[in-house]
Amino acid sequence: MGDYWNVLRNNFPEIASGFLMTCRIVAVAFLIAMGVGIFVGALRAAPSKMLNRIGLVYVEFFRNIPLLVLIYIVFYGVNQADIVSLDRFVAGALCLGLYTAAYIAEAVRSGVFTVGRGQMDAALSLGLTQREALQKVVLPQAVRTVIPPIGSLIIAMTKNSAILGGALGVNDILHRTRQIYNDNFKFAETFLWATLAYLILTVSVTIIVRKLETRLAIRR
Amino acid sequence: MGDSTGSTKHLVEIDDVSKNFGANQVLRGVSLSVDRGEAVVIAGPSGSGKSTLLRCINALETIDSGEIRFEGRSVSAAGKDVYGLRAEMGMVFQQFNLFPHKTVLENVTLGPVEVKGIDRSQAVSKAEELLARVGISEKASASPADLSGGQQQRVAIARALAMEPKLMLFDEPTSALDPEMIREVLDVMRDLARDGMTMIVVTHEMGFAREVCDRLVFIDEGVIVEEGPPDEFFTAAKSERARDFVDKILHH
Repeated sequence: MGDYWNVLRNNFPEIASGFLMTCRIVAVAFLIAMGVGIFVGALRAAPSKMLNRIGLVYVEFFRNIPLLVLIYIVFYGVNQADIVSLDRFVAGALCLGLYTAAYIAEAVRSGVFTVGRGQMDAALSLGLTQREALQKVVLPQAVRTVIPPIGSLIIAMTKNSAILGGALGVNDILHRTRQIYNDNFKFAETFLWATLAYLILTVSVTIIVRKLETRLAIRR
Repeated sequence: MGDSTGSTKHLVEIDDVSKNFGANQVLRGVSLSVDRGEAVVIAGPSGSGKSTLLRCINALETIDSGEIRFEGRSVSAAGKDVYGLRAEMGMVFQQFNLFPHKTVLENVTLGPVEVKGIDRSQAVSKAEELLARVGISEKASASPADLSGGQQQRVAIARALAMEPKLMLFDEPTSALDPEMIREVLDVMRDLARDGMTMIVVTHEMGFAREVCDRLVFIDEGVIVEEGPPDEFFTAAKSERARDFVDKILHH
Protein backbone atom coordinates (compact mmCIF):
# COMPACT_ATOMS: atom_id res chain seq x y z
CA MET A 1 0.00 0.00 0.00
CA GLY A 2 2.92 2.30 0.75
CA ASP A 3 3.87 2.27 -2.93
CA TYR A 4 0.50 3.62 -3.93
CA TRP A 5 0.77 6.50 -1.48
CA ASN A 6 4.32 7.23 -2.52
CA VAL A 7 3.32 7.51 -6.17
CA LEU A 8 0.57 9.94 -5.23
CA ARG A 9 2.79 11.95 -2.90
CA ASN A 10 5.66 12.21 -5.36
CA ASN A 11 3.47 13.17 -8.29
CA PHE A 12 0.63 15.05 -6.71
CA PRO A 13 1.12 18.36 -8.60
CA GLU A 14 1.12 16.53 -11.95
CA ILE A 15 -1.92 14.44 -11.11
CA ALA A 16 -3.75 17.49 -9.78
CA SER A 17 -2.96 19.54 -12.87
CA GLY A 18 -4.08 16.64 -15.07
CA PHE A 19 -7.29 16.53 -13.10
CA LEU A 20 -7.85 20.25 -13.57
CA MET A 21 -7.11 19.96 -17.28
CA THR A 22 -9.70 17.19 -17.64
CA CYS A 23 -12.15 19.42 -15.76
CA ARG A 24 -11.45 22.22 -18.22
CA ILE A 25 -11.91 19.94 -21.22
CA VAL A 26 -15.18 18.61 -19.82
CA ALA A 27 -16.45 22.11 -18.99
CA VAL A 28 -15.72 23.52 -22.44
CA ALA A 29 -17.01 20.43 -24.26
CA PHE A 30 -20.10 20.47 -22.06
CA LEU A 31 -20.96 24.04 -23.04
CA ILE A 32 -20.48 23.26 -26.72
CA ALA A 33 -22.39 19.98 -26.48
CA MET A 34 -25.35 21.55 -24.70
CA GLY A 35 -25.52 24.68 -26.86
CA VAL A 36 -25.17 22.89 -30.17
CA GLY A 37 -27.10 19.82 -29.00
CA ILE A 38 -30.18 21.77 -27.92
CA PHE A 39 -30.08 23.84 -31.08
CA VAL A 40 -29.78 20.81 -33.37
CA GLY A 41 -32.39 18.97 -31.31
CA ALA A 42 -34.75 21.90 -31.88
CA LEU A 43 -34.04 21.69 -35.61
CA ARG A 44 -34.83 17.97 -35.49
CA ALA A 45 -38.15 18.67 -33.79
CA ALA A 46 -39.06 21.74 -35.85
CA PRO A 47 -42.15 21.59 -38.03
CA SER A 48 -40.13 22.40 -41.16
CA LYS A 49 -38.85 19.49 -43.27
CA MET A 50 -35.83 21.48 -44.33
CA LEU A 51 -34.74 22.23 -40.77
CA ASN A 52 -35.31 18.57 -39.88
CA ARG A 53 -32.96 17.52 -42.65
CA ILE A 54 -30.24 19.93 -41.60
CA GLY A 55 -30.48 18.58 -38.07
CA LEU A 56 -30.48 15.01 -39.33
CA VAL A 57 -27.34 15.57 -41.43
CA TYR A 58 -25.58 16.95 -38.39
CA VAL A 59 -26.60 14.06 -36.19
CA GLU A 60 -25.75 11.37 -38.73
CA PHE A 61 -22.41 12.96 -39.55
CA PHE A 62 -21.16 13.24 -35.99
CA ARG A 63 -22.68 9.99 -34.79
CA ASN A 64 -21.17 7.91 -37.53
CA ILE A 65 -17.54 8.93 -37.34
CA PRO A 66 -15.36 7.58 -34.55
CA LEU A 67 -14.46 10.40 -32.18
CA LEU A 68 -10.78 9.62 -32.63
CA VAL A 69 -11.00 10.00 -36.40
CA LEU A 70 -12.92 13.24 -35.98
CA ILE A 71 -10.21 14.60 -33.72
CA TYR A 72 -7.47 13.63 -36.18
CA ILE A 73 -9.35 15.19 -39.08
CA VAL A 74 -9.95 18.44 -37.24
CA PHE A 75 -6.59 18.82 -35.56
CA TYR A 76 -4.25 17.59 -38.29
CA GLY A 77 -6.54 18.49 -41.17
CA VAL A 78 -7.16 22.07 -40.12
CA ASN A 79 -3.57 22.69 -39.14
CA GLN A 80 -2.32 21.18 -42.39
CA ALA A 81 -4.64 23.43 -44.37
CA ASP A 82 -2.82 26.24 -42.59
CA ILE A 83 -5.69 28.70 -42.50
CA VAL A 84 -6.05 28.90 -38.76
CA SER A 85 -3.85 27.12 -36.31
CA LEU A 86 -5.76 25.10 -33.80
CA ASP A 87 -4.54 24.50 -30.30
CA ARG A 88 -4.67 20.83 -29.26
CA PHE A 89 -6.95 21.71 -26.40
CA VAL A 90 -9.30 23.77 -28.56
CA ALA A 91 -9.44 21.19 -31.34
CA GLY A 92 -9.99 18.34 -28.90
CA ALA A 93 -12.63 20.04 -26.76
CA LEU A 94 -14.42 21.27 -29.87
CA CYS A 95 -14.58 17.78 -31.37
CA LEU A 96 -15.66 16.21 -28.10
CA GLY A 97 -18.40 18.84 -27.74
CA LEU A 98 -19.65 18.60 -31.31
CA TYR A 99 -19.60 14.81 -31.18
CA THR A 100 -21.56 14.67 -27.92
CA ALA A 101 -23.96 17.33 -29.26
CA ALA A 102 -25.23 14.84 -31.85
CA TYR A 103 -26.36 12.49 -29.09
CA ILE A 104 -27.77 15.31 -27.01
CA ALA A 105 -29.74 16.51 -30.04
CA GLU A 106 -31.38 13.10 -30.32
CA ALA A 107 -32.19 13.08 -26.61
CA VAL A 108 -33.68 16.58 -26.89
CA ARG A 109 -35.71 15.57 -29.92
CA SER A 110 -37.26 12.61 -28.12
CA GLY A 111 -37.86 14.91 -25.15
CA VAL A 112 -39.71 17.37 -27.35
CA PHE A 113 -42.01 14.60 -28.49
CA THR A 114 -42.84 13.66 -24.92
CA VAL A 115 -44.27 17.16 -24.47
CA GLY A 116 -47.85 16.83 -25.64
CA ARG A 117 -49.27 18.47 -28.73
CA GLY A 118 -51.61 20.37 -26.44
CA GLN A 119 -48.75 22.45 -25.06
CA MET A 120 -47.82 23.64 -28.54
CA ASP A 121 -51.51 24.31 -29.30
CA ALA A 122 -51.92 26.35 -26.14
CA ALA A 123 -48.80 28.40 -26.82
CA LEU A 124 -49.78 29.05 -30.44
CA SER A 125 -53.32 29.97 -29.44
CA LEU A 126 -51.88 32.82 -27.35
CA GLY A 127 -50.26 34.19 -30.48
CA LEU A 128 -46.73 32.92 -29.93
CA THR A 129 -44.83 32.01 -33.08
CA GLN A 130 -43.71 28.42 -33.60
CA ARG A 131 -40.25 29.42 -32.52
CA GLU A 132 -41.36 31.27 -29.39
CA ALA A 133 -43.62 28.36 -28.50
CA LEU A 134 -40.68 25.98 -28.78
CA GLN A 135 -38.41 28.31 -26.80
CA LYS A 136 -40.78 29.31 -24.04
CA VAL A 137 -43.04 26.32 -23.64
CA VAL A 138 -41.92 23.10 -25.29
CA LEU A 139 -38.14 23.11 -24.85
CA PRO A 140 -38.09 24.08 -21.16
CA GLN A 141 -40.27 21.05 -20.47
CA ALA A 142 -38.37 18.81 -22.87
CA VAL A 143 -35.06 19.71 -21.25
CA ARG A 144 -36.40 18.58 -17.90
CA THR A 145 -37.48 15.20 -19.20
CA VAL A 146 -34.13 14.68 -20.89
CA ILE A 147 -31.94 15.49 -17.90
CA PRO A 148 -31.40 11.81 -17.00
CA PRO A 149 -30.39 10.71 -20.53
CA ILE A 150 -28.26 13.83 -20.93
CA GLY A 151 -26.60 13.01 -17.62
CA SER A 152 -25.54 9.64 -19.04
CA LEU A 153 -24.20 11.38 -22.13
CA ILE A 154 -22.16 13.82 -20.06
CA ILE A 155 -20.69 10.94 -18.09
CA ALA A 156 -19.78 9.23 -21.35
CA MET A 157 -18.30 12.51 -22.55
CA THR A 158 -16.22 12.84 -19.40
CA LYS A 159 -14.73 9.42 -20.03
CA ASN A 160 -14.29 10.13 -23.74
CA SER A 161 -12.24 13.19 -22.81
CA ALA A 162 -9.32 10.82 -22.20
CA ILE A 163 -8.97 10.63 -25.98
CA LEU A 164 -7.52 14.15 -25.88
CA GLY A 165 -4.74 12.93 -23.66
CA GLY A 166 -4.33 9.70 -25.55
CA ALA A 167 -4.38 11.02 -29.09
CA LEU A 168 -3.38 14.67 -28.90
CA GLY A 169 -1.18 14.66 -25.83
CA VAL A 170 -3.26 17.26 -24.01
CA ASN A 171 -2.04 17.23 -20.41
CA ASP A 172 -5.14 15.66 -18.91
CA ILE A 173 -5.45 12.93 -16.30
CA LEU A 174 -4.59 10.14 -18.73
CA HIS A 175 -1.60 11.88 -20.30
CA ARG A 176 -0.14 12.95 -16.96
CA THR A 177 -0.57 9.46 -15.57
CA ARG A 178 1.15 7.95 -18.55
CA GLN A 179 4.08 10.33 -18.10
CA ILE A 180 4.37 9.35 -14.47
CA TYR A 181 4.24 5.67 -15.39
CA ASN A 182 6.96 6.18 -17.99
CA ASP A 183 9.20 7.39 -15.19
CA ASN A 184 8.39 4.90 -12.47
CA PHE A 185 7.19 1.79 -14.35
CA LYS A 186 4.69 1.14 -11.58
CA PHE A 187 1.53 0.47 -13.53
CA ALA A 188 -1.08 -0.39 -10.91
CA GLU A 189 0.28 2.11 -8.38
CA THR A 190 0.05 4.90 -10.95
CA PHE A 191 -3.13 4.12 -12.83
CA LEU A 192 -5.10 3.59 -9.64
CA TRP A 193 -4.97 7.36 -9.19
CA ALA A 194 -6.12 8.02 -12.73
CA THR A 195 -9.03 5.66 -12.15
CA LEU A 196 -9.94 7.44 -8.95
CA ALA A 197 -9.62 10.86 -10.57
CA TYR A 198 -12.05 9.87 -13.34
CA LEU A 199 -14.39 8.33 -10.78
CA ILE A 200 -14.43 11.55 -8.78
CA LEU A 201 -15.48 13.41 -11.92
CA THR A 202 -18.11 10.97 -13.13
CA VAL A 203 -19.63 10.48 -9.67
CA SER A 204 -19.80 14.28 -9.28
CA VAL A 205 -21.62 14.54 -12.60
CA THR A 206 -24.04 11.85 -11.42
CA ILE A 207 -24.73 13.73 -8.20
CA ILE A 208 -25.26 17.02 -10.02
CA VAL A 209 -27.66 15.36 -12.43
CA ARG A 210 -29.65 13.81 -9.57
CA LYS A 211 -29.85 17.19 -7.87
CA LEU A 212 -31.00 18.89 -11.05
CA GLU A 213 -33.57 16.21 -11.62
CA THR A 214 -35.21 16.75 -8.25
CA ARG A 215 -34.87 20.52 -8.39
CA LEU A 216 -36.39 20.91 -11.84
CA ALA A 217 -38.92 18.13 -11.56
CA ILE A 218 -42.30 19.23 -12.87
CA ARG A 219 -45.13 18.03 -10.75
CA ARG A 220 -47.93 16.64 -12.87
CA MET B 1 -76.15 30.21 -43.57
CA GLY B 2 -73.39 31.40 -45.88
CA ASP B 3 -73.12 35.15 -45.87
CA SER B 4 -72.09 37.77 -48.34
CA THR B 5 -68.38 37.46 -48.92
CA GLY B 6 -66.00 40.28 -48.07
CA SER B 7 -68.41 41.83 -45.60
CA THR B 8 -66.98 42.66 -42.20
CA LYS B 9 -70.24 42.93 -40.39
CA HIS B 10 -69.70 39.51 -38.84
CA LEU B 11 -66.78 38.86 -36.54
CA VAL B 12 -66.21 35.36 -37.89
CA GLU B 13 -67.16 34.15 -41.32
CA ILE B 14 -66.70 30.55 -42.28
CA ASP B 15 -67.24 30.15 -45.96
CA ASP B 16 -67.71 26.72 -47.56
CA VAL B 17 -64.87 25.14 -45.62
CA SER B 18 -63.73 21.58 -46.21
CA LYS B 19 -61.05 19.69 -44.36
CA ASN B 20 -59.62 16.22 -44.81
CA PHE B 21 -57.47 14.10 -42.60
CA GLY B 22 -56.06 11.78 -45.23
CA ALA B 23 -58.98 10.03 -46.88
CA ASN B 24 -61.27 11.05 -44.05
CA GLN B 25 -63.35 14.12 -44.88
CA VAL B 26 -64.03 15.82 -41.55
CA LEU B 27 -65.64 19.04 -42.75
CA ARG B 28 -67.68 19.23 -45.94
CA GLY B 29 -68.55 22.67 -47.11
CA VAL B 30 -69.29 24.24 -43.75
CA SER B 31 -70.50 27.85 -43.76
CA LEU B 32 -71.26 29.78 -40.63
CA SER B 33 -70.99 33.32 -39.39
CA VAL B 34 -70.83 34.64 -35.88
CA ASP B 35 -71.63 38.19 -34.87
CA ARG B 36 -69.95 40.30 -32.24
CA GLY B 37 -71.34 39.61 -28.80
CA GLU B 38 -72.94 36.36 -29.86
CA ALA B 39 -72.52 33.11 -27.96
CA VAL B 40 -72.79 30.12 -30.25
CA VAL B 41 -72.76 26.49 -29.22
CA ILE B 42 -71.59 23.85 -31.63
CA ALA B 43 -73.06 20.48 -30.80
CA GLY B 44 -72.97 17.13 -32.47
CA PRO B 45 -71.99 13.52 -32.03
CA SER B 46 -68.33 12.77 -31.41
CA GLY B 47 -66.32 12.67 -34.58
CA SER B 48 -68.74 15.04 -36.28
CA GLY B 49 -66.01 17.61 -36.94
CA LYS B 50 -67.00 20.22 -34.38
CA SER B 51 -63.63 20.40 -32.63
CA THR B 52 -61.85 20.47 -35.96
CA LEU B 53 -64.03 23.38 -37.08
CA LEU B 54 -63.12 25.27 -33.92
CA ARG B 55 -59.41 24.59 -34.44
CA CYS B 56 -59.65 25.80 -38.02
CA ILE B 57 -60.95 29.18 -36.86
CA ASN B 58 -57.63 30.04 -35.21
CA ALA B 59 -55.63 28.07 -37.77
CA LEU B 60 -54.44 25.35 -35.42
CA GLU B 61 -55.64 23.21 -38.31
CA THR B 62 -55.28 24.15 -41.95
CA ILE B 63 -58.25 23.88 -44.27
CA ASP B 64 -58.34 22.28 -47.70
CA SER B 65 -60.85 24.56 -49.33
CA GLY B 66 -63.10 27.50 -48.57
CA GLU B 67 -62.16 30.48 -46.46
CA ILE B 68 -62.32 31.60 -42.86
CA ARG B 69 -62.31 35.30 -42.09
CA PHE B 70 -61.89 37.08 -38.81
CA GLU B 71 -63.03 40.71 -38.94
CA GLY B 72 -62.88 40.37 -42.67
CA ARG B 73 -59.25 39.21 -42.65
CA SER B 74 -58.57 35.78 -44.05
CA VAL B 75 -57.29 33.36 -41.44
CA SER B 76 -56.69 30.58 -43.91
CA ALA B 77 -54.47 32.71 -46.13
CA ALA B 78 -52.88 34.78 -43.39
CA GLY B 79 -49.34 33.45 -43.74
CA LYS B 80 -47.21 34.96 -40.99
CA ASP B 81 -50.08 37.24 -39.94
CA VAL B 82 -51.69 34.16 -38.44
CA TYR B 83 -49.81 34.78 -35.18
CA GLY B 84 -51.33 38.23 -34.86
CA LEU B 85 -54.78 36.87 -35.65
CA ARG B 86 -54.46 34.11 -33.07
CA ALA B 87 -53.46 36.69 -30.47
CA GLU B 88 -56.89 38.27 -30.96
CA MET B 89 -58.71 35.00 -30.25
CA GLY B 90 -58.58 33.11 -27.01
CA MET B 91 -58.84 29.35 -26.89
CA VAL B 92 -59.69 27.00 -24.06
CA PHE B 93 -58.95 23.30 -24.44
CA GLN B 94 -60.53 20.14 -23.16
CA GLN B 95 -57.31 19.12 -21.38
CA PHE B 96 -56.65 22.67 -20.05
CA ASN B 97 -53.08 22.59 -21.42
CA LEU B 98 -51.69 24.82 -18.71
CA PHE B 99 -47.91 25.11 -18.86
CA PRO B 100 -46.78 22.77 -16.08
CA HIS B 101 -43.34 24.34 -15.71
CA LYS B 102 -44.80 27.74 -14.87
CA THR B 103 -46.82 29.00 -11.95
CA VAL B 104 -50.48 29.89 -12.32
CA LEU B 105 -49.58 33.58 -12.53
CA GLU B 106 -46.85 32.98 -15.11
CA ASN B 107 -49.30 31.00 -17.20
CA VAL B 108 -51.50 34.06 -17.36
CA THR B 109 -48.74 36.63 -17.97
CA LEU B 110 -46.85 34.68 -20.65
CA GLY B 111 -49.02 35.80 -23.55
CA PRO B 112 -49.21 39.52 -22.69
CA VAL B 113 -45.47 39.71 -21.94
CA GLU B 114 -44.16 37.65 -24.86
CA VAL B 115 -46.68 38.46 -27.55
CA LYS B 116 -47.86 41.95 -26.71
CA GLY B 117 -44.64 43.07 -25.08
CA ILE B 118 -46.51 44.43 -22.09
CA ASP B 119 -44.47 45.46 -19.08
CA ARG B 120 -44.16 42.56 -16.64
CA SER B 121 -45.50 44.38 -13.58
CA GLN B 122 -48.46 45.62 -15.55
CA ALA B 123 -49.10 42.08 -16.85
CA VAL B 124 -48.94 40.76 -13.31
CA SER B 125 -51.54 43.15 -11.95
CA LYS B 126 -53.79 42.42 -14.92
CA ALA B 127 -53.31 38.68 -14.33
CA GLU B 128 -54.17 39.05 -10.66
CA GLU B 129 -57.31 40.87 -11.63
CA LEU B 130 -58.28 38.06 -14.02
CA LEU B 131 -57.51 35.33 -11.51
CA ALA B 132 -59.77 37.13 -9.06
CA ARG B 133 -62.45 37.27 -11.72
CA VAL B 134 -62.33 33.50 -12.22
CA GLY B 135 -62.17 33.03 -8.45
CA ILE B 136 -58.67 31.68 -7.84
CA SER B 137 -56.51 34.61 -6.76
CA GLU B 138 -55.20 32.65 -3.79
CA LYS B 139 -53.53 30.12 -6.11
CA ALA B 140 -51.49 32.62 -8.13
CA SER B 141 -48.11 31.26 -7.07
CA ALA B 142 -49.16 27.61 -7.12
CA SER B 143 -48.09 25.12 -9.72
CA PRO B 144 -50.87 23.94 -12.08
CA ALA B 145 -50.42 20.42 -10.73
CA ASP B 146 -51.64 21.61 -7.34
CA LEU B 147 -54.97 22.68 -8.77
CA SER B 148 -58.12 20.69 -9.31
CA GLY B 149 -59.32 20.23 -12.86
CA GLY B 150 -61.95 22.90 -12.46
CA GLN B 151 -59.41 25.36 -11.10
CA GLN B 152 -57.00 24.56 -13.92
CA GLN B 153 -59.66 25.22 -16.49
CA ARG B 154 -60.53 28.54 -14.87
CA VAL B 155 -56.84 29.49 -15.00
CA ALA B 156 -56.85 28.50 -18.66
CA ILE B 157 -59.76 30.85 -19.23
CA ALA B 158 -57.90 33.65 -17.41
CA ARG B 159 -54.82 32.92 -19.53
CA ALA B 160 -56.85 33.33 -22.70
CA LEU B 161 -58.59 36.47 -21.43
CA ALA B 162 -55.26 38.06 -20.56
CA MET B 163 -54.74 38.63 -24.28
CA GLU B 164 -57.95 40.67 -24.34
CA PRO B 165 -59.36 38.59 -27.16
CA LYS B 166 -62.26 39.62 -29.36
CA LEU B 167 -63.42 36.02 -29.56
CA MET B 168 -63.23 33.06 -27.23
CA LEU B 169 -63.13 29.51 -28.55
CA PHE B 170 -64.02 26.75 -26.12
CA ASP B 171 -63.20 23.20 -27.14
CA GLU B 172 -65.20 20.88 -24.87
CA PRO B 173 -64.07 22.85 -21.81
CA THR B 174 -65.86 20.64 -19.29
CA SER B 175 -65.51 17.20 -20.85
CA ALA B 176 -62.42 16.28 -18.85
CA LEU B 177 -63.86 17.50 -15.55
CA ASP B 178 -65.40 15.65 -12.67
CA PRO B 179 -69.12 16.44 -12.44
CA GLU B 180 -68.80 18.58 -9.34
CA MET B 181 -66.35 20.89 -11.08
CA ILE B 182 -68.28 21.45 -14.25
CA ARG B 183 -70.50 24.06 -12.63
CA GLU B 184 -67.66 26.38 -11.58
CA VAL B 185 -66.29 26.48 -15.11
CA LEU B 186 -69.67 26.99 -16.72
CA ASP B 187 -70.38 29.82 -14.29
CA VAL B 188 -67.28 31.65 -15.44
CA MET B 189 -68.29 31.10 -19.05
CA ARG B 190 -71.80 32.33 -18.40
CA ASP B 191 -70.48 35.53 -16.84
CA LEU B 192 -68.26 36.03 -19.85
CA ALA B 193 -71.18 35.68 -22.22
CA ARG B 194 -73.23 38.11 -20.14
CA ASP B 195 -70.39 40.61 -20.33
CA GLY B 196 -70.78 40.48 -24.08
CA MET B 197 -67.84 38.30 -25.06
CA THR B 198 -68.21 36.66 -28.44
CA MET B 199 -67.94 32.93 -27.85
CA ILE B 200 -67.97 29.76 -29.87
CA VAL B 201 -68.37 26.79 -27.59
CA VAL B 202 -68.11 23.14 -28.50
CA THR B 203 -69.84 21.31 -25.68
CA HIS B 204 -72.19 18.57 -24.66
CA GLU B 205 -73.55 20.71 -21.82
CA MET B 206 -77.00 21.28 -23.17
CA GLY B 207 -78.18 23.05 -20.03
CA PHE B 208 -75.49 25.63 -20.64
CA ALA B 209 -76.44 25.90 -24.30
CA ARG B 210 -80.05 26.55 -23.43
CA GLU B 211 -79.36 29.02 -20.71
CA VAL B 212 -76.49 31.01 -22.13
CA CYS B 213 -76.29 30.69 -25.88
CA ASP B 214 -77.96 32.70 -28.57
CA ARG B 215 -77.65 30.07 -31.22
CA LEU B 216 -76.99 26.39 -31.47
CA VAL B 217 -75.29 24.86 -34.47
CA PHE B 218 -75.73 21.15 -34.94
CA ILE B 219 -73.00 19.38 -36.92
CA ASP B 220 -73.04 15.79 -38.05
CA GLU B 221 -70.59 14.06 -40.35
CA GLY B 222 -68.86 17.32 -41.22
CA VAL B 223 -72.01 19.15 -42.28
CA ILE B 224 -74.07 21.75 -40.47
CA VAL B 225 -77.40 19.98 -40.26
CA GLU B 226 -79.30 22.80 -38.63
CA GLU B 227 -78.88 25.93 -36.55
CA GLY B 228 -81.20 28.09 -34.54
CA PRO B 229 -82.15 29.16 -31.03
CA PRO B 230 -81.25 26.41 -28.54
CA ASP B 231 -84.78 26.09 -27.21
CA GLU B 232 -86.15 25.45 -30.63
CA PHE B 233 -83.49 22.84 -31.22
CA PHE B 234 -84.40 20.90 -28.13
CA THR B 235 -88.11 21.01 -28.52
CA ALA B 236 -88.64 21.11 -32.25
CA ALA B 237 -85.55 20.04 -34.17
CA LYS B 238 -86.27 19.95 -37.87
CA SER B 239 -84.05 17.10 -38.93
CA GLU B 240 -84.24 13.46 -37.96
CA ARG B 241 -80.55 13.40 -37.05
CA ALA B 242 -80.90 16.35 -34.71
CA ARG B 243 -83.97 14.83 -33.03
CA ASP B 244 -82.01 11.61 -32.59
CA PHE B 245 -79.15 13.51 -31.02
CA VAL B 246 -81.40 15.49 -28.70
CA ASP B 247 -83.13 12.29 -27.69
CA LYS B 248 -79.84 10.65 -26.81
CA ILE B 249 -78.43 13.46 -24.72
CA LEU B 250 -81.63 14.31 -22.92
CA HIS B 251 -82.65 10.76 -22.06
CA HIS B 252 -79.54 8.88 -21.18
